[in-house]
Amino acid sequence: MKSRCAEFKRARPLLGTIVEVTLFGADTERCEEAFEDAFAAISLVQRQMSFHDSSSVLSRINSEAATRPVPADDATFRVLRMAQLFNQASNGLFDPTIAAHLEHAGFLPKSSANDQPPSASFDDVELLPGKRVRFRKPGIRLDLGGIAKGFAVDKAVSALRRKGMMSGLVNAGGDLRAFGSRPFAVGIRDPVQPDRISVRLVIRNRALATSAHYFASRLRPGATAGPFVNPRLGRFRSTLASVSVAAKNTLVADALTKVVMLDPESSLALLQQFAAESLVHTLEGAMFSTPNWHEKLQTAA
Amino acid sequence: MKDWIPFVAIPLTISGATVPGFANTYLTVEQAQQTIFPGAAFTRVPRTLTPDQQKTIESRARVGVRSRDLKAWKVSNGGWFVVDQVLGKHEYITYAVGLTASGAVKQIEILDYRETYGYQVRDQSWRQQFVGKTAESPLNLDQDIRNISGATLSSRHITDGVRRLLVTYEVALR
Repeated sequence: MKSRCAEFKRARPLLGTIVEVTLFGADTERCEEAFEDAFAAISLVQRQMSFHDSSSVLSRINSEAATRPVPADDATFRVLRMAQLFNQASNGLFDPTIAAHLEHAGFLPKSSANDQPPSASFDDVELLPGKRVRFRKPGIRLDLGGIAKGFAVDKAVSALRRKGMMSGLVNAGGDLRAFGSRPFAVGIRDPVQPDRISVRLVIRNRALATSAHYFASRLRPGATAGPFVNPRLGRFRSTLASVSVAAKNTLVADALTKVVMLDPESSLALLQQFAAESLVHTLEGAMFSTPNWHEKLQTAA
Repeated sequence: MKDWIPFVAIPLTISGATVPGFANTYLTVEQAQQTIFPGAAFTRVPRTLTPDQQKTIESRARVGVRSRDLKAWKVSNGGWFVVDQVLGKHEYITYAVGLTASGAVKQIEILDYRETYGYQVRDQSWRQQFVGKTAESPLNLDQDIRNISGATLSSRHITDGVRRLLVTYEVALR
């Protein structure tokens, strides 16, 4: 069944959300194989880095790294390295040790009762030679949620390219990446009215991630903010309802949304450093963008 | 927001007032069968749960049974293929599960999902409009934008649904 170039789409429940893969190809069979590889790559990241799955590599690190160095797999160690890079580049704003804070706020399952939030930070996490991880203090729990989903999308895109796919898009619950020469129309969800698109844009060979409050605040009655913690203050603090970041890959875009959410004004330099663009919705309903948003991204008519 | 540029865009409604929300269709039942069990043959097995079976499933799976009529197919290799629907607060998802001959999950494929806000999803006639929809007959929604950034839809209901189907298999199919 040869056609010039048909669109194929698949979706599976992964990473706690619905992961959708879109491919353009002429060969149905090749696309089917590519879908399998892409979903397998995402499943692997889920098995390695899930905070919720007690058998994940990350869970083993969380439960044992305070007592001895724990060996990590290549991918998890790489994501931890990237987390360290963003932690340092953001002066500690991006911090995967905030899991304990999130548990206190009720966003993640409690691993042990009566724990006080530890006064730890990512500085207390040692990334040792031989891809081993050690915690300097007890009570630290790493949560790679702010970065692993983006990484999983990037791994899926790599898998698709390895299968010879020329163009496509992977969307893991709003963290998405287009690859190849084909432009993709993408909508950013309105955080105030989630059944609406507030901004449309066209991306080509680029990643776009969005972090927002809308669903989180509805899941927990009384919650006024999403699961964002300012590590310096140890509590919620954001003036933004939604942050979107476009960058060269999804991991970078994903991580930067968290930094911008916590401190939009001082994150402009960081966005520039990573050649990223950002568009935000304030809690009052206004929109702001980085100066390069219009240059780099084509806003769809 | 010092140094940020005010951004002005006309808010767009993605669809008309009658069918709000986002919708995506991926596979027909037949396509999903061939995706999960390539080359196999499928025999529809009509099966309706008895009230007792329903009760057993609900208590063991800890989720409600929405429909007592199963959409199940026996696969020529001894496995099962089941199509099911789950209804979340904002989402209505049709998915297929392939079970191996020993009753383990082989693969899950989403056939379609629709995101809704408001009353429509609880309304039988609204839901009926999706019956028989296939990848070849997409809904009349804005086809331009099917890639949404910021859609953090949960897959929790699918997880619950699969747990229910595994118990259903034990109780009514095996």
